[in-house]
Amino acid sequence: MERAAVASGYDVHQEQSREAQRQADRWMLPGAIMMTTAILGPIGFPLFLKGMSIQRKAALQGLSVRPMICTLLGYLVIMDSGLNSIGWSLDLVAHHSLINRTLVTAWGNMFDAGYYWHYNELWIGGTGAPGEKSWEIGLVPTVFCMRLAAAIGFLQMKRWGHQWLIVTCWFGVIYWVGYVANMTMFADLRYTGVVFPVIGWWIYDIFYITPFLAIPYLHTVNREIFSD
Amino acid sequence: MNDRHDKGIDAQDRRRKRALNAFQVLIYGYLFTMFLIQLHMYSVSDW
Amino acid sequence: MNQSSNQGLAPGTRETYSRLHRWLQRGLFVCLTALVLEGTFTFPFLLVWYGWPTLSLQEMCSELQKHRFSDDTRECIYPYPLFGPAEGAGQTTAQDEWGVQPRPKYERIGFRDLVRFRDERLAREAAAKQTPDPGLAIGVRE
Repeated sequence: MERAAVASGYDVHQEQSREAQRQADRWMLPGAIMMTTAILGPIGFPLFLKGMSIQRKAALQGLSVRPMICTLLGYLVIMDSGLNSIGWSLDLVAHHSLINRTLVTAWGNMFDAGYYWHYNELWIGGTGAPGEKSWEIGLVPTVFCMRLAAAIGFLQMKRWGHQWLIVTCWFGVIYWVGYVANMTMFADLRYTGVVFPVIGWWIYDIFYITPFLAIPYLHTVNREIFSD
Repeated sequence: MNDRHDKGIDAQDRRRKRALNAFQVLIYGYLFTMFLIQLHMYSVSDW
Repeated sequence: MNQSSNQGLAPGTRETYSRLHRWLQRGLFVCLTALVLEGTFTFPFLLVWYGWPTLSLQEMCSELQKHRFSDDTRECIYPYPLFGPAEGAGQTTAQDEWGVQPRPKYERIGFRDLVRFRDERLAREAAAKQTPDPGLAIGVRE
């Protein structure tokens, strides 16, 4: 009898925690997705903050919700791979849309002439920079798709989410190292005539270093908080 | 997690910490070096 | 930011790594905030810098092409035909200094310079119209 009572008390607590977490995610996930579109960001941000405050309140009430660092990490990976995928998919398949030919080439003119110099001149369209196109083809359908899926699994505190986030974060190290090397090798092409060369690019892009912040956490977190 | 007082785990933790520190120094060092190389190129060219 | 103030460490964080995790959490928070701000303000900022609302999006697109390919006659075709050839394919007007790495010769576009480029071009065209006899114009200049 007593065992059953204890078990049901635990079950109630678990159920309440799950419900609180679900409710918080119902605000945070749409918020994060809107923020990745680069246009609906001002709407998405308050939704995201509202979800975070719900989760914080639940944690203060003693419910066992996801740790805040996991929430930040999971959603940051969603933002980082979402923003990258949207920019690069536009350049890959929608290079002749008006929005791409104005805003993406304008961005290129300001920070990285890879997105401006001889734009839409290759038969495949989009960037004319050697290397850049190859990174797009190589990364968007592989690592960025995997990263989005892994982040969702991670936010659900699934073991496979944790494992695949480790895999794709190491991928992240590879593409950061390769991408910056490519950028430096073709620096004349990519920085000549841009509005804010070098310093502008670094300030704009440095906040995509998610993998470097994620790897130390993923390798030191107690794996038992993730379930099969 | 009572096993944190276990000697074997402690040694493993120390090694893991050292490896992760080395990783962070390497990766941030690489980024900073590339930034410095680009800054140098910027200073000698007319971008 | 520290949700575990009333219960010690967050689940998954052991004593040994609590300092590391605290710093990582701060870094993650900074990056998330920065990406949100970038995601929100990049496009509006670019629009204003490159001449909107004086120039419509399509005019902006045309001005950028004239600048990129150093060709005043280029116009941005919109909507662009689906499966058409790449817009710039085969162009011969862009100015570059070719070498082991090409370097474009176009000038830097400062704040709202596209509007200035357009106004100057329109003024040039208007002036050209006012002197219909090219022979006379050359004579005057000499």
